[in-house]
Amino acid sequence: MANVLIDGLKERISNAIKINQSVGIVLPGNNYSDLIQALFERIHSNPEEAWVYVAVTKPYENLTKQFEFLSADKNIKVIDCISRVAGISKPAQNCIFLESPSLLEKLGLEITNIFKEVDDNVNKYLVLDSLSNLMIYNDPELVTEFFYQMINKTRARDIHIISLALEEEGMDKHINRLIYLNDKILKVKDSFI
Amino acid sequence: MLEEESVMAEESGLCKTGIEELDMQLGGGIPIGNTVLTVGPSGSGKTTLCMQFLVNGAKMGERGVFFTITEPLFKLTKNMEGFDFYDKKLIEGGMVNLIDLRIISERLGLDTEKYTVEDASALLDILRDIADELNVKRLVIDSITALCYRLQTPEMIRDFIFKLGSSLAAMKCTTLLTSEIPPRTFQYSQYGIEEFISDGIMFLGDLERKGDLIRTFQLVKMRGANHSRIKSAMSISSRNGVELAPLLKSS
Repeated sequence: MANVLIDGLKERISNAIKINQSVGIVLPGNNYSDLIQALFERIHSNPEEAWVYVAVTKPYENLTKQFEFLSADKNIKVIDCISRVAGISKPAQNCIFLESPSLLEKLGLEITNIFKEVDDNVNKYLVLDSLSNLMIYNDPELVTEFFYQMINKTRARDIHIISLALEEEGMDKHINRLIYLNDKILKVKDSFI
Repeated sequence: MLEEESVMAEESGLCKTGIEELDMQLGGGIPIGNTVLTVGPSGSGKTTLCMQFLVNGAKMGERGVFFTITEPLFKLTKNMEGFDFYDKKLIEGGMVNLIDLRIISERLGLDTEKYTVEDASALLDILRDIADELNVKRLVIDSITALCYRLQTPEMIRDFIFKLGSSLAAMKCTTLLTSEIPPRTFQYSQYGIEEFISDGIMFLGDLERKGDLIRTFQLVKMRGANHSRIKSAMSISSRNGVELAPLLKSS
């Protein structure tokens, strides 16, 4: 049953990102694991694509424990924004560790630098996991400005962007504003899972 | 190929720093022959920026020289070895020359603490001679503050920087002078004179965000260039050296 649902999520993400430059995914916190499983399986099964995954929810080490292929896959680079502030400093080949999630300009530079090395004809994707957690470490106005910049930058460079927003008790007004900047919104309901 | 790039730079009249975003902000590069003050507090990235300017120039076929007064050469090279842009072969091949100005002063028999007018003149001559002999197109003095400290009057400082700038400009040599200021201050130099004689000012600062210090960069002045004056975030990494990105204004 679980596999069928994760396959369903994978298909929804694939279809949405195929025709939209930017996709916002709003999901309840308890569906997070299923969603990232669907996302990583989607990435793993398309090695011809180039992905950058910005991790603000789970540290890289944690992600690789759950998805072992992550450390070997050549089509994905993770930018881990939270390990360093938690005192974890184990180097990893497939991951760039940012000193702090408040260094948003540096985050933007790292994203740009990774995509600079990718051939023009390769499909490029960026995942922000998640806007809600970036707001824990930064003022909402700053995250809003950062997201506007990212949306414009990725549009100009033909990079698809998937941004996650965790829905706790009602949506924060800033997240609500941000997520609707995307071309397409996917709302994952408890009932769907 | 390197010669071609060097000729192209001369034809355009611009000295490319090789730092992409900075060159964009400069409208292509620093006008050749300009003397530019690189201002910032300790740890703001002045030395790294200047060294990257020299190394990038050397990679484009332009010879450069770095005069240090603030730290010994072995410390300087040790710090720079951590950067990917740093290439030891450029030093060994004479494309980037590192010179300890304190050793030169000692050899000239100058008082290491205070320079007389004659001392200053002798030092100026030696700097010009080295630049001329090595045929350098890029020159750095790190720092002009430490040098000015040894010059005893504002007139001597003014005279020294003016003469140095004029003679290097005549050699079509572009110069960066680092200027040390206390943290969180909005001044361009310690003595208040250096900025008026310089053709350009690059201001390196920092701002605090949630307790973290974000490096910032701003081009305040650049004679002969239609340059940007926006404040940027500056990043320094071993992989890419100095990089600039638009600063988020909500900070």
